[in-house]
Amino acid sequence: MQTLREFYEYRELLKTNVRKDIRGRYKGSILGMLWSFINPLLQVFVYYLVFPYLMRGSMENFLVFLITAFFPWNFFLASINGATGCIKANAGIIKKVYFPRKILILSQVISNLINFFFAVPIILIFVVIFQIPLTWNLIFLPLIAVVEALLCYGCGLILSAVNVYVQDVENLVQFFLNLLFYGTPIIYSLDMFPSGSMLYFLVSHNPMTLLMNCYRNVMMYGTMPDWGALGILLVISAVLIMFGNWVFNKLQKGFAEEL
Amino acid sequence: MDPNNAIEIRNMSKTFKTYKDKQKTLKERLTRRRGEVQENTVLKNINLDIKKGETVALIGTNGSGKSTLLKLMTRILYPNQGTVETNGKVTSLLELGAGFHPDFTGRENIYFNAAVFGLTREEIDKRVDDIIEFSELGSFIDEPVRTYSSGMYMRLAFSVAINVDAEILLIDEILAVGDQHFQNKCFDKLEQLRDSDKTIVIVSHTLGMMKILCTRAVWIYKGTLRLDGDPTYVISKYLEQSAIDNKEEVKKAKEEKIEDLTPRGCIFLDQPSNFEVLDSQINLHLIGWAVSNSLDEQIEILIDDQPLDDIARSVRTDVYDAYSEDYAGFLDENKIGFEKIVAAWDLTPGTHRIEVILRDGVTRRQIDHKTIRVRLEGEQAIQPKGD
Repeated sequence: MQTLREFYEYRELLKTNVRKDIRGRYKGSILGMLWSFINPLLQVFVYYLVFPYLMRGSMENFLVFLITAFFPWNFFLASINGATGCIKANAGIIKKVYFPRKILILSQVISNLINFFFAVPIILIFVVIFQIPLTWNLIFLPLIAVVEALLCYGCGLILSAVNVYVQDVENLVQFFLNLLFYGTPIIYSLDMFPSGSMLYFLVSHNPMTLLMNCYRNVMMYGTMPDWGALGILLVISAVLIMFGNWVFNKLQKGFAEEL
Repeated sequence: MDPNNAIEIRNMSKTFKTYKDKQKTLKERLTRRRGEVQENTVLKNINLDIKKGETVALIGTNGSGKSTLLKLMTRILYPNQGTVETNGKVTSLLELGAGFHPDFTGRENIYFNAAVFGLTREEIDKRVDDIIEFSELGSFIDEPVRTYSSGMYMRLAFSVAINVDAEILLIDEILAVGDQHFQNKCFDKLEQLRDSDKTIVIVSHTLGMMKILCTRAVWIYKGTLRLDGDPTYVISKYLEQSAIDNKEEVKKAKEEKIEDLTPRGCIFLDQPSNFEVLDSQINLHLIGWAVSNSLDEQIEILIDDQPLDDIARSVRTDVYDAYSEDYAGFLDENKIGFEKIVAAWDLTPGTHRIEVILRDGVTRRQIDHKTIRVRLEGEQAIQPKGD
């Protein structure tokens, strides 16, 4: 509650931070903000070229399959990366002024969420090109994205605070993000695993798998999101945020001394 | 918390852990033993109430913990024991220009900076004209901050901070912003804020100013609260203690026979100035002053390597005021200045080198020296007969 009230009081700081994050990221480059869409598109293109050769049974509409999950993944990746380092990156100002530190994490997540929303039309263009019908179920897309944002915020709270004390966190996060990328059916389909195998079990119980399925449901398959899955994700996010809040509140008292 | 209090500190202690070698990576944390931590108690059991509307000076020597106390009030640091509670919106002027972004214009940075202090857009909109006017930046306000001189930068930062309208204002040694004109303006603004219902806490070494500005002074001595009350009394007690401490320090150093200890101090020659051209018919008038923490300081004046004797010492209240805290206990207001008149007939026309040296009388070590050159023009002066 206290946190929410402070967020409200410092809403202008949140706004300027989000704006700086979005505009500042590619400041100085010719294509500017476009890079935040071009980069993932280029990556998608690479996977699109390489993967059909590696995997025998090539899938129908593989490119759309890739894009509908890759942009949400990119949102997650950028948020976690940004949030993990944001306390350290703002060491100067943290040592000088008091403001609710959690705003830094929240603004990272929000700026990436906005970036994702900017990317949605691009995803949909590909969906239309490949003649996949768009349905009204798309209205659930913002809901799914917000659940993902909550998930990122919860993780970000914990990672950013611990990162101040233990430098290894940044490297560990890189490793786990990599692991998670391959542990989530983004560039492959879960059907490729034999259904009784260990790997199938692990991947299908990965929360990110549930999330990606929701995205594909509304954007590619034209169905409603799996409400059960979304509910589970919401519960996970809530638990993470509560735990993250507790950790962050404990650790933030030492930020100025540790940085 | 008492509703009349703006800041309430109870049984508060703050300890800093200093690691001989800071363990930052996981490997180091796991492998190294924890024996190398040194605990350094900066503040011990502080109890302090600051009432709403008070203007309080925090005084103390460097390292006494007064800045740490200020940081604890702003919630940048947190106490190890006890509590620090504040009632009302706090703005700190610990470091000016927090959140300034060099590539954005002054006007944009006003918004960033004020947002860091927790203002909303509408609130900033209302104040932005006042801020720009106070900063006296004129048309520069729409130029990127990176093009500013450091003085302009500080002026803008100070203008934002002081116009934020916080209920509690915490200030750390900022009366040194800008030129004299701007400093006076800041001082006026602070007086104006003092007379309103704002609570102000200032850390400063400008003791004279604190006496005028503040309604109460709190003296922190070696991490504890030593004295709290009327500024004039507290400041004089503080200076007395500083005098004792300074003398003790020098005495101790002497007893321990630290040969390398060079006393601090400086010497200054007001008149004549370097490369000045003087009339050879008029007596040469040397005026200057010297301060040091030597118990037995000596001043030597040499003209063209010839030492002069009978150097008179004089009163210099202006210098005393400036250095009274720094050299507390060593300065005799009546003997800071020095004067010497050299008869015109003792000097030949041409260029002369004047050297003033400040020495420690016991060790003969040179503390400071200045050398200037003057030129005498005209005929050689003749000593009047009969003298």
